[in-house]
Amino acid sequence: MIEGWQKMSASQKQEVFLAKWASGEGIQFADDEAKAAYQHRAGLIKDAIQLKKAPKRVPIVPVTVFAPVMLFGYSAKQAMYDPHIIGKVLLDYSRHYDVDATFIAPMIMHGPVLEVLGYDLYKWPGHGIREDQGYQFVEKAYMQAEDYDHFIADPTDYWLRVWFPRTHSALKPLAQMPPLYGTMELPMAGPWLCTLGAPPIQEALKALLEAGRLSFEWIQALGPYIGQTFGSGYPMCAGAATKAPFDTLGDSFRGTTELMMDLYRRPDKVLEAVDRIVPLMISMGVGGAMANNNPLVFIPLHKGADGFMSNDQFKKFYWPSLKKVILGLAENGCVPVCFVEGGYNQRLEFLAELPHGQCAFIFDRTDMARARQVLGGKSCIGGGFPVSLIITGSAGEVEEETRKLLNAAAGDGGYILSIGCAMDEAREHTLKAFIETGKKYGKY
Amino acid sequence: MQDLINAVVDMKEDEALALVRKYLEAGTSPMQVMDAYKEALGIVGRRFEEGVYFVPELILAGEMMKAASEVVKPLVKSDKPNAETQRIGKFLLGTVQGDIHDIGKDMVHMLMEINGFEVKDLGVDVPTRRFCDEALEFQPDIVGMSGLLTLSFESMKQVVDCLKEVGMREKVKVIIGGGQMDEHACRYIGADAWVVDAVKGVKYALKWMGK
Repeated sequence: MIEGWQKMSASQKQEVFLAKWASGEGIQFADDEAKAAYQHRAGLIKDAIQLKKAPKRVPIVPVTVFAPVMLFGYSAKQAMYDPHIIGKVLLDYSRHYDVDATFIAPMIMHGPVLEVLGYDLYKWPGHGIREDQGYQFVEKAYMQAEDYDHFIADPTDYWLRVWFPRTHSALKPLAQMPPLYGTMELPMAGPWLCTLGAPPIQEALKALLEAGRLSFEWIQALGPYIGQTFGSGYPMCAGAATKAPFDTLGDSFRGTTELMMDLYRRPDKVLEAVDRIVPLMISMGVGGAMANNNPLVFIPLHKGADGFMSNDQFKKFYWPSLKKVILGLAENGCVPVCFVEGGYNQRLEFLAELPHGQCAFIFDRTDMARARQVLGGKSCIGGGFPVSLIITGSAGEVEEETRKLLNAAAGDGGYILSIGCAMDEAREHTLKAFIETGKKYGKY
Repeated sequence: MQDLINAVVDMKEDEALALVRKYLEAGTSPMQVMDAYKEALGIVGRRFEEGVYFVPELILAGEMMKAASEVVKPLVKSDKPNAETQRIGKFLLGTVQGDIHDIGKDMVHMLMEINGFEVKDLGVDVPTRRFCDEALEFQPDIVGMSGLLTLSFESMKQVVDCLKEVGMREKVKVIIGGGQMDEHACRYIGADAWVVDAVKGVKYALKWMGK
């Protein structure tokens, strides 16, 4: 524990955590050159976020999931079934594209684990979709309307005994498990313990054991490549991820269709539920950041985009709980980096409510000139480059568009050059043009 | 039936359904009830265009219409001539190969039907060749392709290329819809228009049919 941590302000804690991360403390660098390069790259990002001074140049951080795998000639399935492929791609991509922060390789995840769990929440290559495609979310109303009270009263109990059984077919028997609470006293512990021994629940627990074993093996295999990537001088673009509570509820529990109707049918339950989720999302982000010694917490924003709801609905249902998560992360020294999917042209004034220099917003389809106007000097902004040009355009078109974007958005600091979409696909010549143009024309 | 139209437009689900039952019991024809819903959804669509209503209202309006259809369905005699509005055109719709997103597509389906199109909805993850074969058979005026993922660009391009191969491209208008659609994607795919919301898509379709 750092001396005086509890008494520090959010900005002070962020300064300490960012400085520690940017120093590369704890990383075994290949040589002094790699260490200097790491500190330089992380320093660009730190300066862009904190708004205290302009970095030497705009940091360049394309956000990707499967794109690096595809760029190096592997299928999504190969990557999801062999951590060595993910690891090699991580190293090669970071060096070849010479990005300022690299992608979160563990997000590729591991197919065998999903098979053991009977994972129904996503389709993945070879399981419901082609082998060359990245995984896809299967959105459904896994949570019924009558479940709100249980979820609100005890999210973990609901998660374990209702949601797991509905989304992981090997864990279906957990629905027969009683709640934990009897274990508070020996005379009352019997029901829980005895049920644990029921053959179907034993099978479910065995599936969990096996999933854990395979996952542990997987990260043991992938870990050294991550260490080597850091050691070569490339920081990772985030240390953890978390979600806006409304998105947690809408993506994984109620589904878009049902949740949007809940705004009319049971608005009070929605408000209670999103508020209940706030501390869970904060602790998820803080825990991951601390474990990985990287304060950047990635928050993809989904259902609050322009068109998905009115500003009044955003103000009532989406924003307050997200704002609490952002502030809660900052209070713990973490830096929320919101990945703002869709457009936020109607929402920029809400984002301007946040304290100065404590978070970052990477945009997708938002007007970047407007984002600069509303948020410049308040929060770090980034992104705004259309992924369609990376996939369908020429290098020349990409160079022209990147220069236009830098002129509109880079200002006098507080900008991260990125692409608005977490890429599953890319083309080498256009991605290189994007990065090289950023380096050439992004100097302050 | 202004009270029914208002209830639907104002998102008053229970009131709307109660009024449906009241009108049917009083002898109003099922078709008149569904016409009231179509009028209401037209107003909802206009409010969406004006930026007053958004996705929650489109979804709830669609659900209300579905609920009313369930009540009305048993009362529609099978030997009665189809009293529906004459179809203004045919619309072939689907989410392209590799993509399983359907919410936007389903909204388009509902709005296009309300606006007088005969809609053939192929569902999600529609193989390229099937899209093309169905176009040959159904002979639509407009082909609408939905996709949220960037891999849908390639699938959509392949559908358009296939339409050219089978001599359908000149006979149809092609519109692409989804969160990542823009002028670059449209040019690459060879579509006639691109949209990021369902209501704008319907406007294009109506314009093309001269409405």
